[in-house]
Amino acid sequence: MSINFKQIEEKLKSEATKLLEEGKVGVVLAYGKGYDENHPLPFVARKASDVENIVFNEYCTANMARYIVRYPRGTKIAIAVKAADSRAVIQLIQEDKVKREDLVILGIPAYGMKNAKTGEVVDSKTTCGMYNPVIYDTLLGEEVHGQSVVSPYDVLAEYEAMDKEARWAFWKKELDKCIRCYACRKACPMCYCDPCFIDQNKPKWGEKSPESHGNLMYHLTRFHHLAGRCIDCGECSRACPVDIPLYLFHKKVAKDCEEMFGQAAGMSIEDKPALVNFRVEDSDKILE
Amino acid sequence: MKKTSINKISDLAAELLGKGTLVAPVKEDAGFNFREISNAGQVDLNFYNTLMSPKSAFFPQTEDFVRYDKNKSVLDAQCVDLNLKPVFLFGVRPCDAKSFQIMDIHFSGTGVVDPYWKKRREATTVFGYAFDINTPADGADFYSTLNIGAADPEGSDVFMMKRGDELLLKAVTPKGETLLASLTSLADASADEQKYFDDTVAAGRDFKTRFTCVDDKVIAKKLEDLFHKTEFWEKISDACLSCGACTFVCPTCYCFDICDETLFSKGVRRRVWDACMFTDFTLEASGHNPRTKVYQRLRQKICHKYSFHVRKYGVISCVGCGRCTRNCPVNIDIFSIVDEALKA
Repeated sequence: MSINFKQIEEKLKSEATKLLEEGKVGVVLAYGKGYDENHPLPFVARKASDVENIVFNEYCTANMARYIVRYPRGTKIAIAVKAADSRAVIQLIQEDKVKREDLVILGIPAYGMKNAKTGEVVDSKTTCGMYNPVIYDTLLGEEVHGQSVVSPYDVLAEYEAMDKEARWAFWKKELDKCIRCYACRKACPMCYCDPCFIDQNKPKWGEKSPESHGNLMYHLTRFHHLAGRCIDCGECSRACPVDIPLYLFHKKVAKDCEEMFGQAAGMSIEDKPALVNFRVEDSDKILE
Repeated sequence: MKKTSINKISDLAAELLGKGTLVAPVKEDAGFNFREISNAGQVDLNFYNTLMSPKSAFFPQTEDFVRYDKNKSVLDAQCVDLNLKPVFLFGVRPCDAKSFQIMDIHFSGTGVVDPYWKKRREATTVFGYAFDINTPADGADFYSTLNIGAADPEGSDVFMMKRGDELLLKAVTPKGETLLASLTSLADASADEQKYFDDTVAAGRDFKTRFTCVDDKVIAKKLEDLFHKTEFWEKISDACLSCGACTFVCPTCYCFDICDETLFSKGVRRRVWDACMFTDFTLEASGHNPRTKVYQRLRQKICHKYSFHVRKYGVISCVGCGRCTRNCPVNIDIFSIVDEALKA
């Protein structure tokens, strides 16, 4: 079985048209035509006539959940989500950034999504390796079954084999490449702090110049701020113009959190984010 | 006019290294970037274009001005000297060479001279390098829209192009002439090669990247008229994440911030690239921010390049290198925006 992208695109268009015509939503967050087929854009349809611009193909990797917080609370939003994106939506609901009843979730079952820059398939390498949305109101295709499932943590093998010193050297080297364009935090659906700590200057948490200590301050703080919240969509790594493998750190922390607290981020609306919830039986491993 | 064999390029690199600092494209994880060369064998002309623009040769992302110690008198603060050796900036594509001329307007052309930019410009000899006109341009490029040829020597001191296994080099400015005459690793080019060079420069004028007819004054006026059409800009910026990737890779973005960075008592006052796409770029001391919305910031970027700049300096501040489009995390394309503005 392969994904019929054209069919999903048609369903996405018809659902969007229906929702906009019936006035059920104010905006539809989907994908639109870019400057060529391999470069679709995140797209917002506001009226039924906008819908003709909607596309869906294997290059639609962008996580539309990133745009939810941009609209005033109470805005009725329809959003197209793939598996990881649906987890971001759940996580945003858990964190009370949006209400479930304000959303119409258009689920897209898909695998084989490709990074437009490299053409590489992102499934489990840089995303969570799930194919079906966790939550949806309408599913725009058939649920994926029988497709081999690879653990999203498999790519960590090489990283986990490194000892503490080697990991430090690895991140020092990788983060030294950073040009501080902040594409990673801007592409991240969970990075919605306003202002971001690194933009504050009273107190000033980190330096603005792209040098070792400022880069470490920015990235290590961001990494940890996403602990138990990162839903592994991999957008940060795809957004990075200098190809820093940010997903490795996020996956490692997500794996640790899952082992320690028995829950993955963005899997259920009923969950509380792991690090804001206290249970007596919680692991004390972190203190050891 | 001179020539050398491509496989002897390291001899030329070695000779340039003997005369000063050589900066050339080096392959890195994410693509090629201009870096200081330490070993002549590193020079590799098999690149399309660099990830970051070569502007950092004259306008580095971080430029230190003054070093100070907070426990000492301000009179003890030390100015940072540039101490430049001659620099050879090797392998600059024609669109990027053109960007240096646009940047000269800001850093030395309007009466206020930036000593750092000026000293670096004076110390540097630019070796331009023609695009291969027999291979199609990258889908993001649109320099022909901005009237820049694929093999335009303008903006370079020495201009280079490949012909089979040979690299042809021609002096464009007196600075380039003096340098070429002093290089012993080069041979004289034949009349036939001279003709090939001129023919390629001419053919490069007809080489088409993505193209739309853009007249400086027309687009400037069009954007001026569109400025208050909020709906247009909101639509354009729906996808924009408001990160700084486009401005940092851009060869003609020149905004910077001056920061004092102090660790314990020792510090440095430095200039660091800033971007109009950042929320805090326009944050005023009072707490007021005139550009709080994404559309206002993207509008500023487009209008600065295609409208304000034309009205103030008579030239569009964009060279169509395609870097912003290639590196935008959400595939926003400045060419399409300009095209849409023209049609709006």
